[in-house]
Amino acid sequence: MNGIRLENVTKMYGDEPILQNLNLEIPSGKFFALLGPSGCGKTTILRLIAGFESVDSGSIFIEDQNVTYLPGNKRHVNTVFQNYALFPHLNVFANVAYSLTIQGLPKEEIQERVMKVLQTVHLEKQVNKSIDQLSGGQQQRVALARAIINRPRVLLLDEPLAALDQKLKERMLVELIDLQDTLQTTFIYVTHDQNEALTVADQMAIMNPDGQIEQIGSPKQVYEFPNSSFVASFVGTTNLISGKLNQDGEQWMLDVEHLGLFVVSVDVQKDWVVEGASVIMNLRPEKIYITKQEVSGFSNMLRGEVKAIIYHGRSTQYIISINDHRTIQVFEQNDEHFPKEVINYDDIVNLYWKKEDALIMER
Amino acid sequence: MKKIIKHELNFFLSIPAMLWQVAFLWLPLAFLMISSMYSIAYGFSFTHYLTILDLTHFRVILRSLFLASINSMLCLFFAYPIAYFLAFKVKKSKAILLFLLTLPFWVNFLLHVYSWFFVLERNGILNTVLLKLHIINEPLYLANSLFAVGLVMFHTYLPFMVLPLYTIFEKLNYTLIESSTDLGATSSQTFFRITFPLTLVGARIGVFLVFILSFGEFVIPTLMGGGKMLFVGTLISSYFLLDQNVALGSAFTCLSGFMLGWALLMIFVLFRYIFYRITRASS
Repeated sequence: MNGIRLENVTKMYGDEPILQNLNLEIPSGKFFALLGPSGCGKTTILRLIAGFESVDSGSIFIEDQNVTYLPGNKRHVNTVFQNYALFPHLNVFANVAYSLTIQGLPKEEIQERVMKVLQTVHLEKQVNKSIDQLSGGQQQRVALARAIINRPRVLLLDEPLAALDQKLKERMLVELIDLQDTLQTTFIYVTHDQNEALTVADQMAIMNPDGQIEQIGSPKQVYEFPNSSFVASFVGTTNLISGKLNQDGEQWMLDVEHLGLFVVSVDVQKDWVVEGASVIMNLRPEKIYITKQEVSGFSNMLRGEVKAIIYHGRSTQYIISINDHRTIQVFEQNDEHFPKEVINYDDIVNLYWKKEDALIMER
Repeated sequence: MKKIIKHELNFFLSIPAMLWQVAFLWLPLAFLMISSMYSIAYGFSFTHYLTILDLTHFRVILRSLFLASINSMLCLFFAYPIAYFLAFKVKKSKAILLFLLTLPFWVNFLLHVYSWFFVLERNGILNTVLLKLHIINEPLYLANSLFAVGLVMFHTYLPFMVLPLYTIFEKLNYTLIESSTDLGATSSQTFFRITFPLTLVGARIGVFLVFILSFGEFVIPTLMGGGKMLFVGTLISSYFLLDQNVALGSAFTCLSGFMLGWALLMIFVLFRYIFYRITRASS
């Protein structure tokens, strides 16, 4: 079944186009993340789906119903706002019950449903508290409860965890995944934080600053097989190395200025894979093996000097200068208490990677 | 030590304000109380209060209370859309519109009131237009009526309602209104359940301002009412200025002030009750 479909949607703010001829299909019942840098128009997409803004052209469908001209209060869509937007003059109960009270449902039914949804978000003890007595995380849960109580077809989440601290954020992310699993409602999660998107999403879309969607796929697809250098650098940390393709019999090589020739693996089916084509190699820092020794079994090697060491706890990030021409980032897992080999500033190190671990992208 | 100095400094800085309050509020009030209870003929007595405690005087006070209530309700009714529009819908020309709102105050108050004559009198603009359009056959008696008094008061005091409301609207998070819509509320449900209770403080300030000012107003009733009807302001000014009867004037001022106080208290309680009903009804 179709979830949400945006067809040729254009939205202008004054003379500025925010979205131009955007097409987007969001599958039903999935946790979908919309990831993009600030100001790329991802919140606008959310506001268009919710009905807070109207399109300048194009159409919006929710489960095959054309909602383009349906006012927000008639759409079966609810939103969790970035700053929660809880009603400060109402207590927790009245906030959560709001959409049911509006419909004039019987008191007993409202009472029952509110208590049930408060249990889902672990807030049943706070039912009679006023909003300003709650912590940030609790307010977040009230906003969630208020949005899901009316069983929307789609739940929109606009950077809902932006105001929470790291620890709480991680816990809420897991709870959100559980909640989506239980409700089986389509969740659309807007964020600029790639870690949040990678954590929660079944499917994710990456938007560029021009308001276009660059790639849609599972987090793993997007991370391992980005289809553009923008996606590669926006999702996670990476090394983008540009060069020209060389064919040597069956073997393809990448000729990089100042660095030399590297063995690469390419999909020869692609029409841009030709001798002399300008391409970009996406080499993730964790795919590189860093050592002071000489080892075998890798297709490629680079030698460089350690310029910076950044300790992250579970991993260490090295910034390696290659002949002063460019730097390469490397992550090394800190999987031993007492590593056999200690790498220090200004050490000369060897960087190894397999050709399958580097992705060649069209420039 | 620093704290003590700061404390002392605060005290010294507040002296002008306190002097002002004593000289222009508490002293006049004390004079008023004393002169309402003391005259050379009677010495200290409540005679003056007994003189004015009759139906005629109460009718004047009630009439003023009525006018003030009608005026503040009208102002409230019309100020809400204006304040909402100014705060949320206007983006670029906000400063100009706010300036236009206060523009009537730039004209001398008497001129401001008198200009309404040209609109309302027998051969005025309004009658001329209505006759030309054949909506009426006879000119209407609009000037020198309670209607004229009400209309001009409404026009004069509307900004006093709009400005405090606008200030509160500016502070209101528009996302709350969107959120209410998102949860399925119609625009009138959103207004009565969200917008109204959250701007009630501004509405209360506006109602107090308009109510107090309308209650004591004496220029507009004198000029626009044709001297036919007495209001609190007109009666006080005639006691003091025409009759030169300071004692009766003071007594009546105190009595009407007392009644005004009760009216304000009732308005306050009413607002609390409305807020309570709205917030508790749903929980």
